[in-house]
Amino acid sequence: MADDETPYMQDDDTVREVNTFDGRLIRRIAQYLKPYAGWVVLALTITLVGSFLGPLRPWLVQQGIDNYIVVGDLEGLQRIILFLFLALIGEGLLSFAENYLTQYIGQRAIYDLRTTVFRHIQDQPLSFFDRTPIGRLITRTTSDVEALSDVLSSGLIVALGDLFKLFFIAYFMFTLNWQLAVVTLLVMPLMVWVTFWFRNNVREQYRETRKQIARLNSFIQEHVTGMHIVQLFNREEEEMDRFEGINDDHRAAHIRTIFYYAIFWPSIEFISTVALAAVLWYGGVGALSGSALTLGVLVAFIQYARQFFEPIRDLSNQYDTLQRAMAGAERIFGVLDEDHHLPEPDDPVELDAVKGRIEFRNVWFAYEDDNEGNPDWVLKDVSFTVEPGETVALVGATGAGKSTVMNLLLRFYEIQRGEILVDGVNIRDLRLKALRRHIGLILQDVFLFSGSVERNLTLGDPSIDEKSMKRAAEIVQADQFIERLPEGYQQDVKERGSSLSHGQRQLLAFVRALLYDPDVMVLDEATSSVDTETEALIQQALERLTEGRTTLAIAHRLSTIQDADMILVMHKGEVRERGTHQELLAQDGLYRKLHDLQYADQSPAASGDGAPSDGRVRANL
Amino acid sequence: MGALSRLNHFFWEYKYLFVPGLLFTMISAGFQITVPMVVRQAVDSIPRFVRIHTLYEGTAAQAELYAYFFGGLLLFAGVIIALSATSGLFMFLMRQTVVVASRHIEYDLRNALYDHLQQLSTTFYQEYSTGDVITRATDDIEKVRRYIGPAIMYVTRSLVMVLVAVSVMFVISPTLTLYALIPLPLLAVSVFFMARMVHHRSDLLQQQYSTLTSRVQEALSGIRVLKAYTREDAEADAFDEESEKYKWRNLNLALVESAWRPSFLLLVGLSTIIVVWMGGRLVAEGAITIGNIAEYIIYINMMTWPVASLGFVITMIQRASASVERLHRIMDREPDIADGPRTDASIQSLEGHIAFHNVWYQYDDEEEPALRGVSFDLPADQTLAIVGRTGSGKSTLVRMIPRLLEPDAGRVTVDGHDVSTIPLETLRQHMGYVPQEVFLFSDTVANNIAFGDLDAPDDEIRAAAREADLLENVEDFPDGFETYVGERGITLSGGQKQRTSIARALIRDPRVLIFDDALSAVDTATERNILRSLRERQGNHTLVIVSHRLSAVQAADLILVMEQGNIVQRGTHEELVDEEGLYADLHEKQLLEEEIEAL
Ligand SMILES: Nc1ncnc2c1ncn2[C@@H]1O[C@H](COP(=O)(O)OP(=O)(O)OP(=O)(O)O)[C@@H](O)[C@H]1O
Ligand SMILES: Nc1ncnc2c1ncn2[C@@H]1O[C@H](COP(=O)(O)OP(=O)(O)OP(=O)(O)O)[C@@H](O)[C@H]1O
Ligand SMILES: [Mg+2]
Ligand SMILES: [Mg+2]
Repeated sequence: MADDETPYMQDDDTVREVNTFDGRLIRRIAQYLKPYAGWVVLALTITLVGSFLGPLRPWLVQQGIDNYIVVGDLEGLQRIILFLFLALIGEGLLSFAENYLTQYIGQRAIYDLRTTVFRHIQDQPLSFFDRTPIGRLITRTTSDVEALSDVLSSGLIVALGDLFKLFFIAYFMFTLNWQLAVVTLLVMPLMVWVTFWFRNNVREQYRETRKQIARLNSFIQEHVTGMHIVQLFNREEEEMDRFEGINDDHRAAHIRTIFYYAIFWPSIEFISTVALAAVLWYGGVGALSGSALTLGVLVAFIQYARQFFEPIRDLSNQYDTLQRAMAGAERIFGVLDEDHHLPEPDDPVELDAVKGRIEFRNVWFAYEDDNEGNPDWVLKDVSFTVEPGETVALVGATGAGKSTVMNLLLRFYEIQRGEILVDGVNIRDLRLKALRRHIGLILQDVFLFSGSVERNLTLGDPSIDEKSMKRAAEIVQADQFIERLPEGYQQDVKERGSSLSHGQRQLLAFVRALLYDPDVMVLDEATSSVDTETEALIQQALERLTEGRTTLAIAHRLSTIQDADMILVMHKGEVRERGTHQELLAQDGLYRKLHDLQYADQSPAASGDGAPSDGRVRANL
Repeated sequence: MGALSRLNHFFWEYKYLFVPGLLFTMISAGFQITVPMVVRQAVDSIPRFVRIHTLYEGTAAQAELYAYFFGGLLLFAGVIIALSATSGLFMFLMRQTVVVASRHIEYDLRNALYDHLQQLSTTFYQEYSTGDVITRATDDIEKVRRYIGPAIMYVTRSLVMVLVAVSVMFVISPTLTLYALIPLPLLAVSVFFMARMVHHRSDLLQQQYSTLTSRVQEALSGIRVLKAYTREDAEADAFDEESEKYKWRNLNLALVESAWRPSFLLLVGLSTIIVVWMGGRLVAEGAITIGNIAEYIIYINMMTWPVASLGFVITMIQRASASVERLHRIMDREPDIADGPRTDASIQSLEGHIAFHNVWYQYDDEEEPALRGVSFDLPADQTLAIVGRTGSGKSTLVRMIPRLLEPDAGRVTVDGHDVSTIPLETLRQHMGYVPQEVFLFSDTVANNIAFGDLDAPDDEIRAAAREADLLENVEDFPDGFETYVGERGITLSGGQKQRTSIARALIRDPRVLIFDDALSAVDTATERNILRSLRERQGNHTLVIVSHRLSAVQAADLILVMEQGNIVQRGTHEELVDEEGLYADLHEKQLLEEEIEAL
């Protein structure tokens, strides 16, 4: 347990090599802008005009200085001032329009992407969720999408705007004085080199920091949910040490990153000042040699030397965001590309009502392959038939594969061999939703959503009215405790139902299944945490309800299933025995053993006094 | 903003980074701001040079002058570059100190928070959702860090630059400076209002982001339920709705933020225009030079960013302040279950004699009490069984023994010591607790079992697994004990999970073993095996067992029957079956079933 590398740091957000300017990725992101092409064109036009107005101003200033200030023509100056003012106002308005418009486009595209990703993930089969930590999927739908929003909204358009700006500045510089323009641009290679150097190093660091952040988050997530276990087992110190270790790695990764930024920013500033110095020196020397350099041009160049590097700086400044966005996009598309969702049949069979005949025919199933790549069979050649209206029970040791049978019936997983039939139709020929709509499953692991009792019972289905909800609660004996809650059906049950007792949670799950009124009921240890008395009451009520309804039940307490029409005894993935309770007892096999074990304890413990005979007497009355 | 003062001790702690850091910031800003002065000198000198140079047109001195002026111009350029290089060097040092310090503080803060989280009890975790706690430990701490590092850096830098620039401008021409700064009050006012709007709107946005995240988190955690009940579409629609809301809040914020930059642009641009206009007049009057205009323009451009960032910095600081408050709402919470003045450090070992004296407990003021005056006494090494209806308070009762909950009234004692006087570590060290709801870490089976005893060698892990009747199952796995169980143990069967949790408790070889309905998911044969191995240990531990199956409780030395927080019956199995009441009814029912079967 001392080694903490593996558990918290699977290949999760190990950021893969992502090229920030990966064309394929960018094209794919741009796909999401397609529906808003009209808006994009408008935004681009606005950006184009805006990026012309910015560089126009230093030029106007130059005109003002050379043509009017130097000669003292204040009238003319006023006109220039007016132009300057108009250019400024224009640029301000356009800049506002551009900003909002890009956000508008971006947010709409992000909305599309986010909902697509969510639906996609939701459609994945359960084997996907077994393998993928939920935290990772949450990251995909939230922060990864969020990171992309910067690119989708401003990214592309702003980048183009920056390019336009570069172009216009260069244009003005060259028209004013081409030699000076060349001098200014001489530092460009240096700038490019520094930027590349920075990019390469920071990319490395960036990947490292992402990894550390992911580690930190999953550690906190897991330890907050399991804090009571940490405390109960006195593991505070060890876990604190591990946390400090992870936190330390996280800090170290960031501190290394700071170094590169600390070099990069001053360098950029420095290089643009070098350009400025070069302009002054070259301009001055040029003036000495009699070139037509005016003061206005010099002042304009001083401004351009700064302005020219701004877009470049902007682009590098965006680097972090861009890198994050690209990494996010890569991961999102990774999820979208890895689609395992079960294909709907081409020609689905429609079942209006299910009579409830269920058949497993030579079903083989494995969740995973073993180390040699052979399937690690969990079910081996399982066959059985449940006639409509019958109740069939599955018993067997833990891990025998009972829950797996239920999972397969709902097609949560795909079987490798054999077939499963409902009313004689292979479940692969049914639409998934149609299949599941007819089967009501109570899962072994109860899950409640945070929110009201009512939300948990109806699952937000508006077609369920209050009366049927209350009636179902009565059947399951849940009404008493619900009504005792301060807010009754509106009581918030908290995360995973943590403000209820375990049995109460199970009862709610039971009500949920009843409300659903399915044709086939599948109960996986549905009352394992409920006391015997309540269980008996539920059973009586159910007997009336399940009349004529096919029921498949798993239970460890044999008392709850002995009325079943057929009992299947499972052992290590195989159906070993089958028959009614009586038949199985007579067979003297596994079932007999289980049964004897269950009731054996009562006699020796009670022997020696008259208790059992008392009980027996009363029972016989 | 007062909340931020709570961070002051960090500045003190890292003064060896902050003091030089702030110094570097000022030096760097100082050097940077002198560049325009040199530029002005150069701009003003060039026409002078040219004039003198042309004056000597054709004379021999011209070549000499040319060399002289050439050198002069080179000197200007050299000085500018040198100034900028120095400024850059200090900027580098500034980042290496202030920003690094902020990372150190982030580290300390996060450790402190996690350390504190480890001390807080169940009551706290009931109140805060997991998502909330995670946000505190990540987002909020990051916001605080930004205040400590970048924000402080920017503020210092901006202040130095603005102060120096304005004073220099003032010396050159008070009138022009006043004119140039006319837009400044406007700037200040708009910064303030916009920052406030941004602040408000981004809070709303943040809220919606949390809603969205928890929605996803819940939907995916409960994906089995959603799929079984074909609620995926409804859930996706609900998600669409939340996303739509999120989109609009984003756009509301974008509206203000989009106006932000243009406003600065306008106001700063206005300054430039005023400088050219008024400056032009002043040049015509001969009051200032054209070089001064160039200088002014550079200053104004230089100040744009610092002043503009000031607005963001203000929001950054406001946010940090809110985050600090949120963090301290957790940090200030006294761990309600912890060692205190009443703790008796001399208690180092426990025998396991457990007694409850009139214990009351209520989870929530509005709810009915979960325990109403519970009393019993269980000598060490005996077995206590608790039965009773769902929700009758069994789990609540057993949670009091390892002090996961503390009674509202009454006392819980172990070996005659009130549990609140036993050092928490000692108390829990002697307990093996198997909670009703299994929680496993996403780790290997072996590591999950060894969670109960860090240094356990492999054979002890095996032994514990055998006692929990898990060994056979684990050996069937391709990877055996190295099998990686998914989140919360998702890839194990219900019974396998539960038995891993049992093994985790058994491996500690505790004085007190608590089984809270810990056999609900195992079959009868397994249950029997486990009970047998427990019985073999009999005399080595006190056992508290909650169960719905009489088979598991019959052999207990004391059985408590609970009903709505009261103990309604107590005694041994023999005593209870003879007594009218719940227990006899239950027993009868189970016997009756047996009878019917036997027919
Ligand atoms: N999602 C999964 N991925 C991989 N293996 C799994 C998964 N779920 C179950 N298994 C394995 O399949 C086997 C059968 O599990 P299953 O849940 O069907 O048992 P079960 O009969 O329901 O047992 P229990 O009575 O304990 O609930 C077990 O060995 C288990 O470890
Ligand atoms: N965290 C909580 N917050 C508020 N109320 C709670 C909380 N936990 C339990 N309760 C309430 O306290 C009462 C007793 O719960 P407890 O968990 O002790 O029952 P239990 O006897 O263990 O039931 P079960 O057999 O179902 O496990 C119940 O009415 C329950 O709703
Ligand atoms: Mg199961
Ligand atoms: Mg309980």
